[in-house]
Amino acid sequence: MTYNFAFLDEDTKRMLRRALLKAVAIPGYQVPFGSREMPLPYGWGTGGIQVTAALLGPDDVLKVIDQGADDTTNAVNIRRFFSRVAAVATTEHTAEATLIQTRHRIPETSLREDQILVFQVPEPEPLRTLEPREAETRTLHALADYGLMHVKLYEDIAQYGHIATSYDYPVLVDGRFLTSPSPIPKFDNPKLDRSPALMLFGAGREKRLYAIPPYTHVESLAFDDHPFEIQRWEHQCELCGSGESYLDEVIVDDRGTRMFVCSDTDFCSGRRAEAQA
Amino acid sequence: MMLAAFADPVFDSQRTFRALLQAMARPAAPRALPVLPPSPAPIAPAAMAIVLTLCDATTSVWLQQPEDEAVHHVRFHAGLKLVEQPQQADFALITDPMSMPPLEAFALGAPRYPDRSASVIVQATAIHSLPCVQAEAGRGVHVLASAQDGATPPQPPPASRGGSTFAGADICASRGGGTFVGPGIRDTQTVAIDGLPADFWHQRAALAAQLPLGIDLFFVAGQHVLALPRTTRLLEG
Repeated sequence: MTYNFAFLDEDTKRMLRRALLKAVAIPGYQVPFGSREMPLPYGWGTGGIQVTAALLGPDDVLKVIDQGADDTTNAVNIRRFFSRVAAVATTEHTAEATLIQTRHRIPETSLREDQILVFQVPEPEPLRTLEPREAETRTLHALADYGLMHVKLYEDIAQYGHIATSYDYPVLVDGRFLTSPSPIPKFDNPKLDRSPALMLFGAGREKRLYAIPPYTHVESLAFDDHPFEIQRWEHQCELCGSGESYLDEVIVDDRGTRMFVCSDTDFCSGRRAEAQA
Repeated sequence: MMLAAFADPVFDSQRTFRALLQAMARPAAPRALPVLPPSPAPIAPAAMAIVLTLCDATTSVWLQQPEDEAVHHVRFHAGLKLVEQPQQADFALITDPMSMPPLEAFALGAPRYPDRSASVIVQATAIHSLPCVQAEAGRGVHVLASAQDGATPPQPPPASRGGSTFAGADICASRGGGTFVGPGIRDTQTVAIDGLPADFWHQRAALAAQLPLGIDLFFVAGQHVLALPRTTRLLEG
């Protein structure tokens, strides 16, 4: 059985493309779209896959990462899916890719103007855990009333002495829309600000798309006396020795021995190859 | 005889979309469209490429000059819904900008759904990016370049800041256009768009008070397209 190029039919692609253009025109605003059933379950990146399918052309080179890694189940399957339904070239190297679909990380390697980053988003509404009603959160966005989120961050400080949110850390895009950066670690939030690359976000189950255009001011919420801070480690990557990358703590045997390694596998293997050369 | 549409609908519309997406993501920077399909007068081939890429039976389109051949052509190839009033249009095609309706005649979206707003395709006479400054005023480029250098960190100056114009903006403003700032623009982007009504930029600036409501514009001239989303601001001269 053969499918249309990139799996989706052309009507669906046009619908996605119209929604993506509005998303770019209104930075950080969640555009509703007619999310289709995809050959993998909601929660596995159906939003990101639909965005990628609407973008993809035969000249693209696709990279897919899951938590920074190219070799995990979700990334491998999505990459194989597109090489099968679009015969598109794939890569594990950030610098070689024109299109990068990501689950929960932004690559360590700086992105360029000719690259597009597509995020898989489970919950596009940053206010959802604070206000369950969609009609109400829409009104709050219309009024730019984001007091709820400030109170939530303040309660963190009151309880823990610091802002305890460590991933999916809310951002204000172009000074207007409160936006979920998807569950990236807040370590990656500074990469959202004035990025040379266009960033698109797709939430399949929640049927929302949004975008952060290049060179757009993206501010992580904070207070004057509790400024935004990213995670820091006392360790360095045990494989490549990097002290600047986001580290995963991995248990390596039955006795609970731990090691810290880069979450971005391409960045880490690139550094190791350089060190050997 | 009826004209053809895209020779290769799947890939021609994909390549056109990528050009439109980059145009919208990097406002006020003209870029070439990869494919120009045949189009009946008064529709320009570049405008037809946008219509064929984005419009279908689920979109409402308003043609400023609904001439028979053009109407048959877009109905046949895109199957789109034509509407009588600009207010009803998801997409509007302006083929004669000098007699276009005021921008406020188009849908601006609703406060809870600012995306339910018109995308307006305007067939301009010509689009000139920075070289127009160079061609018409030798010192324009130099002054503009120094203004860009001084703009680090590139915090866009507020549009209300008056009296901060520079030669490049003046030249382009006199031709319709000027220097733009906003999301997607690293520092500033200077461009001139010919063939627009005299009060076009005042109309557009007046809509900015209603942000995030607004309309998004595609200008086409020859093979080029240039987008101005609602968030892009013209620096006042």
